[in-house]
Amino acid sequence: MTGHRDVATVGLGGPVGSGKTALVQHLVPRLDDAGYDVGVIANDIMTQEDADRLRESFSDRLPPDLVAGVETGACPHTGIREDPSMNLAKIDEFTERHPELDVVLIESGGDNLAATFNPELADYFMFVISVAEGDDIPRKRGPGVTQADLLVVNKTDLAPHVDADLDVIREDAATVRGEDPTAFTDCKADEGIDAVADAIERSVLFA
Amino acid sequence: MNDRALLTAMRLSDSMLPVGTYTASYGIEQYLNEDEIETAAGLGDLIEGYLRGVIGPAETVALGHAHRSAAAGDLDGVFAADERLGAATLPAEFRDSSRKAGSKLLELLADTDDGAAASRSSDPADAADRTSSAGDAAGLGDVAVEGVLAEYAAACEAGRTDGHYPVALGVVCQRAGLDAREAALVNAYASVTGLLAAAQRLGRFGHTAIQSQLSGLFPAMETVCDRYHDADLTAMCSFAPLADAMGMRHERADRRLFMS
Repeated sequence: MTGHRDVATVGLGGPVGSGKTALVQHLVPRLDDAGYDVGVIANDIMTQEDADRLRESFSDRLPPDLVAGVETGACPHTGIREDPSMNLAKIDEFTERHPELDVVLIESGGDNLAATFNPELADYFMFVISVAEGDDIPRKRGPGVTQADLLVVNKTDLAPHVDADLDVIREDAATVRGEDPTAFTDCKADEGIDAVADAIERSVLFA
Repeated sequence: MNDRALLTAMRLSDSMLPVGTYTASYGIEQYLNEDEIETAAGLGDLIEGYLRGVIGPAETVALGHAHRSAAAGDLDGVFAADERLGAATLPAEFRDSSRKAGSKLLELLADTDDGAAASRSSDPADAADRTSSAGDAAGLGDVAVEGVLAEYAAACEAGRTDGHYPVALGVVCQRAGLDAREAALVNAYASVTGLLAAAQRLGRFGHTAIQSQLSGLFPAMETVCDRYHDADLTAMCSFAPLADAMGMRHERADRRLFMS
């Protein structure tokens, strides 16, 4: 019987409004086009409207039963770190119905800078921040920023409008993350997404 | 209760136990969505209703029967407790939350508590002795390979039984050397704190108010565990019609942070 240990898993965490959902929406077509069978789990989508919208957004790409919400009892960080059992149970459901599944993207509910993924849940963990939250986010050294396999700095198009200096973000990220990579994306213009998809492919699908 | 059994009881009733119970509210979210709980005292009264209507006469009866069956090496008896508890639980989300947590408990122990007591027999003739001495062994023994607990876990994984949480807990506690009444108290405490914690996260209740309600519910926990831990399985009933209706309405609720 296949289960959560037989499929690659990618966790996306980050603060509310940083663009995690938009990033998932741009990653799925790329992974799908590259020939991978993809499932998507979103935590704390809150309302039925959110659930319907999520399923609708992948309707031409993924079977509806591979797009699911998992409620985390108003504890988004618990769902991805201390007790990921309900997310793992959902991945087991996915793999039972679709044993051919290659990768599951798990989008955390919006949380704070301390949110990190349990390594038994996510083989690869990316932390998504937005330039609009301030260019001092990397400097705060939150565990999400420092421990993620990939830091994604999203909404780069907004930088001039919110007085955020991308060079400062780049330098601070390099300082606090050492050798670990940082990607810059603008989901609205579909820029920088290829680098993120490549990182997933290289790190968890070819590995 | 010996030290090892006490430590196991604390482990199983600790919210740190990673079996996903924090995602279940068993209708509490819907009561709050519909503004049906106004005060901490009202919350305490409601949870006392859960104790007297569901946790006692349904969950504790199932747990007690599963415990006795496990002690006698009677796997079919454990399955019967599972089947009847599922049948007595009307809201689909309540059944689902209970099944998922039970299965996760069994998976967890299979992953973590192996090897310590592999030589212990699963022969029913040894059952009484096992009940009294199991606590001397480390942890929960070789959950993965032997005994009613292992057979029950395998049956859950294969989909041959539901693995409801109180039933799984009854089997696990029996294995750990807790008697049925102690196991019932573990379940009652974990259920009540789960409901209170859900309400605390969703509503506006102070931490001291919640603790007052918790300690205030101890007598009701003791009463229902006394009364139902050795009840016959056929006496099982569940009577909490408003909670059931809330559980069903939650399936179509506009706002959902919990699975039930």
